[in-house]
Amino acid sequence: MRYFVGIDIGSTAIKISVADENKNLVGHKISASGSMFYKYAQEALAELLKELGIDESEVVYTVATGYGRKLFKEADENISEITANAIGAQQAAKSYGNIKTIINIGGQDSKAISLDAEGNVVNFAMNDRCAAGTGKFLDVVAMNLEIGVDELSDYHFKSKGTPLSISSTCAVFAESEIIGLLGNNHSVEDIVSGVHYSIAKRIVKLVKRVGVKENVYFDGGPALNDGLVSAIENELGHKIFVPEYPQITTSYGAAVLACDAFLSESAS
Amino acid sequence: MHTEHTIETSAERQNRHKAMEAISVINALREDFKSPIHSMGYFYDLFEKVYCHHQPLHEGKAKIGTMCIQIPSEIIYALDGVPIRLCNGFYTDDEIGGDLLPQKSCPLVKATVGWFASDNFSDKPDITFSPTTCDQKTKAGAIIESFGHTVIDVGFPRTKESEESRHYWRESVKSFAVKLSKFQGKKLTRSNLESAIKKVGYAQSLYHKLTEFRKNKAVPILGVDMFLVTNAFFFDKIDEWISAVEKLVVELEQRASEGVNVAGKASPRIVYTGSPPIFPNYKIPLIIEQSDAIIVADETCSSNRMFNDMVAVDEWNLYDMIDSVSDKYLKACTCPIFTQNDDRIRRIIQLVRSYNGDGVIYQAFAGCQVYEMEQRSVLAAMEKEGIPILYIESDYSPSQHGQLTTRVEAFIESLKNRKRMKK
Repeated sequence: MRYFVGIDIGSTAIKISVADENKNLVGHKISASGSMFYKYAQEALAELLKELGIDESEVVYTVATGYGRKLFKEADENISEITANAIGAQQAAKSYGNIKTIINIGGQDSKAISLDAEGNVVNFAMNDRCAAGTGKFLDVVAMNLEIGVDELSDYHFKSKGTPLSISSTCAVFAESEIIGLLGNNHSVEDIVSGVHYSIAKRIVKLVKRVGVKENVYFDGGPALNDGLVSAIENELGHKIFVPEYPQITTSYGAAVLACDAFLSESAS
Repeated sequence: MHTEHTIETSAERQNRHKAMEAISVINALREDFKSPIHSMGYFYDLFEKVYCHHQPLHEGKAKIGTMCIQIPSEIIYALDGVPIRLCNGFYTDDEIGGDLLPQKSCPLVKATVGWFASDNFSDKPDITFSPTTCDQKTKAGAIIESFGHTVIDVGFPRTKESEESRHYWRESVKSFAVKLSKFQGKKLTRSNLESAIKKVGYAQSLYHKLTEFRKNKAVPILGVDMFLVTNAFFFDKIDEWISAVEKLVVELEQRASEGVNVAGKASPRIVYTGSPPIFPNYKIPLIIEQSDAIIVADETCSSNRMFNDMVAVDEWNLYDMIDSVSDKYLKACTCPIFTQNDDRIRRIIQLVRSYNGDGVIYQAFAGCQVYEMEQRSVLAAMEKEGIPILYIESDYSPSQHGQLTTRVEAFIESLKNRKRMKK
């Protein structure tokens, strides 16, 4: 068998996807970027292939993406995460319908991508203010509230009062705002839902810059947070589609591209 | 993992946004300051009720929208209406209005237009009167009318010194009274106007009592609380407002006798002027008072200018009363839309002197041209008087908070130093 690997080296995590010749996802792995992400990326890839019972020689084409992509020298090709994300999203949402808008929240940035009818990227926007409203921001929030990141969603839906908005666009100032709210005995639930809505408002502004077209797809680690998903849906005013593995869309897109690249190369 | 959620309607979303803006200010007032005032609870609850829970206050009453301070409440009350002042302080509405008006326009006007555009009121005005004060408000009236609301212009002169202006305005007010009387199907009489003048006059006298306490060395009430009290007059039931302020006066008497101070011993005393702080846009006043200063007086149309001068009646005949009401809304007004506007500078200096102010903070909304244009002359006049002044331009967006805080803090610290040097 021939396999295709997409490897996405992000600020927080390394995501690897393996696709077969039909572009189906065969397996994936997520591991922390850590301090030596080149080494970790190699190790993670080897482990994943082992788990899947794939011999290294069966991997015929590898595409790297993400902000650390240029450091992964074994790759046959590398592409920007915008393109990889667009390709991966369309493949992952095939059963759902034609994706027109992508929201991606990563560890240190957030993006909105607009696609045309053929699935080409026509426009995209990125946050211009540091870590505000990103995965890192959610980590900081959870840490300050002394809860797990995976608990944020539960707290969100338990909120009974008015969400307490966080106006600072800087994660560092936002931290002090949250500490202030805690100090005044506000419920963790109302703070969490406020944080989610504050991020959602910011992301929807970003999306409006590229134009909202249905269907909207949402991925990146924070898409695992259902509370945030609900907040974005409310801010947008319509439903969004979250894939089964929202963290790996981009690496999956790289794997799909690897497949296309290999097949077109061998055809010529 | 991804469960089904219901999605808010656009009105629900907008109400949540407004509630989020409102609650953060109400919470700051409730929690961020020392020596909270018990009877302020009425006002915190009122704003929460209206802006977080969107409860109507005036069901079954005729709600008469007003677009500026100049539409006489006395005549509205006399004709059995409830005046609702539609000057709006919500960033949510400002953003909606921003799609309909030029980006450079005043946020207050954008927010007011945005409010009408979304047609999302807890107490929707049945008719709105728009005095032709500044250009932006005048033009906004026509835009609002295009959304299907009834807006009636009330001609307002741009000079106030001349007899012609006075005459013109008196005729305008009469014509407003006639139109409203027709709309309400009720006659303006000597007795209903007299009792309305007396009631509004009593409300003003209560405001004067509150301001007297602010002359004390130990100031018993925050400036932001005062803004909240006066902003409540925009839409509250007047009798309930009066009884809440009566209670506040009693509590402040008690606090004054005990020497309760909401500020620190060295806190500079600020006179606030410029574009009006309208709930929940208390950005600058909150920064000032969170930075260890205290606002002791203001010259804005959401507080001092609205309440300062009372209707002075010579003869309690209907036409004399209407003329007196008209004069109060023209002669006493220090709005920068007027050309010769020495009154405003005189008033600011007088407030600094009588409230023992250490400095003036002059805030103009970006896009509020008259304040922007006038700041130079006000700055020069203050310099001549030896009164330190800080000019700040801002809008309704929460994003500049950090930079604004740094500027205000530096000014306040310079005032503290000045005070220490004097000693």
